[in-house]
Amino acid sequence: MALKTEQKNGLMVCHIDGEIDINTAPDLKRAFDKLLSKKELKIVINLTKVTYVDSSGLATLVEILKNMRAYGGKMRLTNLSPKIKSLFEITKLEKLFDIKASEEEAISTFV
Amino acid sequence: MINLGRSGSLRNSKSGNKTIILKVPSEIKQIKKVSSGILDSLASQNIDEAALFDIRLCVEEAVRNAIVHGNHCDKRLSVTVSYWIEEGSFIIEVEDEGKGFDHKYLPDPTDEGNMLRNHGRGVYLIKRLMNEVQYNDTGNKVRMVKRIEQ
Repeated sequence: MALKTEQKNGLMVCHIDGEIDINTAPDLKRAFDKLLSKKELKIVINLTKVTYVDSSGLATLVEILKNMRAYGGKMRLTNLSPKIKSLFEITKLEKLFDIKASEEEAISTFV
Repeated sequence: MINLGRSGSLRNSKSGNKTIILKVPSEIKQIKKVSSGILDSLASQNIDEAALFDIRLCVEEAVRNAIVHGNHCDKRLSVTVSYWIEEGSFIIEVEDEGKGFDHKYLPDPTDEGNMLRNHGRGVYLIKRLMNEVQYNDTGNKVRMVKRIEQ
């Protein structure tokens, strides 16, 4: 799992590449803790290159969301594959997260 | 039943189904080893990607639960995984050496009050993604069935 970040339109866009699971979730959590400590409070997470998420991955995304909210931040998820989107639907996490079809759409909702 | 270790291939045979049995120590690193071995042995079965995703996810969730919650990561305790194909279904049993649990009393992770919890979705996903899920009375063994032929 790799995380690339870029500033776009005054917010942070994060591209995750790989799998978010019991092995990689702690690294992801640490990376977002770091972003939060730098006061990055508007974040778009692009999941185009995420091929697999398990319950640890879902739990970590929930934790990241909670931390963001605790600091008054906002985040959007974009470009979920149909299979990963179905996990969010099954677990009803789609109600908790702000999920957009594209990165552009997610960015535009912050403006 | 025959023990083929990780390298055995799995064939669909109505009479005399070949069962592969894996016995692994209770270490987190075993989760991927088990799921990779299973997916390798299913490679020749022409199973669609979505079903393979579900099988992988449920295997990893069940083995993780067995290692972490069942055996409390005690390396002296084993997790036994048995799987085979029978009449168009992939069947897998995961058993730990722990005291078991009652799956009926797990909180529903989709209840509004539980949505923000950062655990408790593994068994729920298994029940939703597999076609059949059964626990033994003790709760230390789960049997999961996924249909792989339409």
